[in-house]
Amino acid sequence: MIVAAGPLVLAAAACVSFAFRKRLTLVGPFSLLAIAIAFVLVGLTAPDSTGSLLDLELRLGALGRLAALVMLATLFVLVLYVVAEEPAYNFFPTALAVGATALGVVTLTAALAICGVLVLGLLVPVGSFTFQVQRNRSVEAATRHFAFVALGGCMGIAALALAASLPKDQPATTFVLLAVILVIAFALLLAAIPFHTHAALLAGEVPTAALGLYFGVLVPATFVAFAEILTLSGLLPEIAQVVKVQDLLHGIGLVSALGGAFLASGAPDLRRLVVYSVISNLGASLVGIGTLSGPGIIGALAGVLVTGACATQQLLAAGTLERRAGAERPSAAHAPLAALAFVIGGFGMIGAPPLVGFPGRFFIELIAYQFSPTTGTVLVLATLLLLVGQLRAVILLFGTTPTTWKAEPRPVAGVIGAVIFAALLAGGLQPDGFLQPIASFAEEFLKAMRPL
Amino acid sequence: MIPLGIVALATLAANGSRQLRYSAVALLGVSLAANVLGVGQLSAPQVALEGCGALVACGILYVAARDNTFGEDPGWRLWLATIFAAVATAAIFASLRTATTESIAVSLVGDDPGGVTAQVAAFWLLASGLAILVTARSAVRGSLGALLMVTGVELLVRLVAAPQLALSVLLAWLEVVIALTGAFLIVNERAVREA
Repeated sequence: MIVAAGPLVLAAAACVSFAFRKRLTLVGPFSLLAIAIAFVLVGLTAPDSTGSLLDLELRLGALGRLAALVMLATLFVLVLYVVAEEPAYNFFPTALAVGATALGVVTLTAALAICGVLVLGLLVPVGSFTFQVQRNRSVEAATRHFAFVALGGCMGIAALALAASLPKDQPATTFVLLAVILVIAFALLLAAIPFHTHAALLAGEVPTAALGLYFGVLVPATFVAFAEILTLSGLLPEIAQVVKVQDLLHGIGLVSALGGAFLASGAPDLRRLVVYSVISNLGASLVGIGTLSGPGIIGALAGVLVTGACATQQLLAAGTLERRAGAERPSAAHAPLAALAFVIGGFGMIGAPPLVGFPGRFFIELIAYQFSPTTGTVLVLATLLLLVGQLRAVILLFGTTPTTWKAEPRPVAGVIGAVIFAALLAGGLQPDGFLQPIASFAEEFLKAMRPL
Repeated sequence: MIPLGIVALATLAANGSRQLRYSAVALLGVSLAANVLGVGQLSAPQVALEGCGALVACGILYVAARDNTFGEDPGWRLWLATIFAAVATAAIFASLRTATTESIAVSLVGDDPGGVTAQVAAFWLLASGLAILVTARSAVRGSLGALLMVTGVELLVRLVAAPQLALSVLLAWLEVVIALTGAFLIVNERAVREA
């Protein structure tokens, strides 16, 4: 039961905070406390602890524990930012519910249940996406997100249900068809190119904290769920035997990696730069998973977790810069510490050494070259384009030197950025603690691919 | 076969309606007929759970409409969704049928132990929902499509050897959350339109 304690605490806290959502002085600290309790509960749970709930088997594996801790820490800084910088009463219950579903995703062991809980989690933020509906297109963005999630989620659950109920003596094409439907369903949920239009609209129209919730917590949770579902669904041996599914994963991954990087390199504003960078990194991670190799899987999962943290750092900094700039173009003169946080977040986003994002990107690009020189070249090109995009942001922010530097009075985004950067640096200097749990999952993945 | 026919007709009614309230009532008909299809596969608490989920979801959409005139004219989308659903159901049934028996003969009245009608209904609902969702212009038809797809998913999940009670709870919650989210978007869209 201790395995389920974290998600249950957050789910109960979400219900309580919904009841008191308009009492901001109460609900903000309450949400922080609930997340801290869940963090401690997950931290105290030994890796590979098991339990059951309503006959559903639960297990907090090493990867699940690591992902849960990273996502809860990200959630904590997001809630802290909203409490301190832009109080929004509907954010707190949403964040807690998202935390509960993210923990549920990494704790459950039934593919169908993981997919169902994930869809619940992806639907919840719709409430925090919409704001000032008569002045922007946030309703349209939220409606599009709703449609993509419902479509992808239902297709995914249906494919998993069919795969689980199929008699074993089916022709290979049947399993291939189901695997293809599953991959497309997750491409929809992950906003991979060409299914990224809702993410692009969200980037322009919704509050940055809500964007952080989606790209910082839910997108990594979706990717981890995808990897776990592949492991648990029984479809992996067929995927390994049929090259077409691997080709599909590589195709979607490469298009997303290159397309996202291309869009990021010419992004008109800071938010879009972050969102397209996330899409590009997700594409690279899909290529990593598609190689069906240990280094590829490790690189993919490590990359996604780091990307989530960096996206949160950059989005919160972008939000602060936009708010302080008002109608003007955001620059370091408006909020130098937030601008600095944005820039150092970019280092993590492109996987620069010595940050912890580097080993993941290195593994993916290395294995991609081994898989095919073209694939490797495309991924390196995508990294270079991301670098161009981030450098353009540096020029945009620091291009004009103000006569006097004046730090913002409450540098919340700057402090959060410094904390995340320090964590990424510590992880980069001591990568074993971060990569070891992912490596143990990669081992499970490879075993599921070649059952005895 | 009779519940299957009701599922098909109620889906068409929900899809063809210009008023959200009528669509919500037709959607309830779809869910009830789908539950009748799965009576042999689920225990009474599970049927009650999924029935309650459907009732609450349809109730939410009914209330979100606020009056009898609000809705979205499907226009050509009705025919596109119907033709797509008919073609896709046949194609999916031919390639992905998981029923244990090879014979697909089913009687008009009586049990269907092979689960053939449940699968046909599931594929029909998934295909209809997909076509409605893809062609939806607003959250009205988006919610309708999503709820049809979830009902189809519920039928498919019943055929899986898995902890059914937990999955019933999960899918009932999913149905309610989809309806709540859809209703939230409908209310906001209306606020934008009326501003």
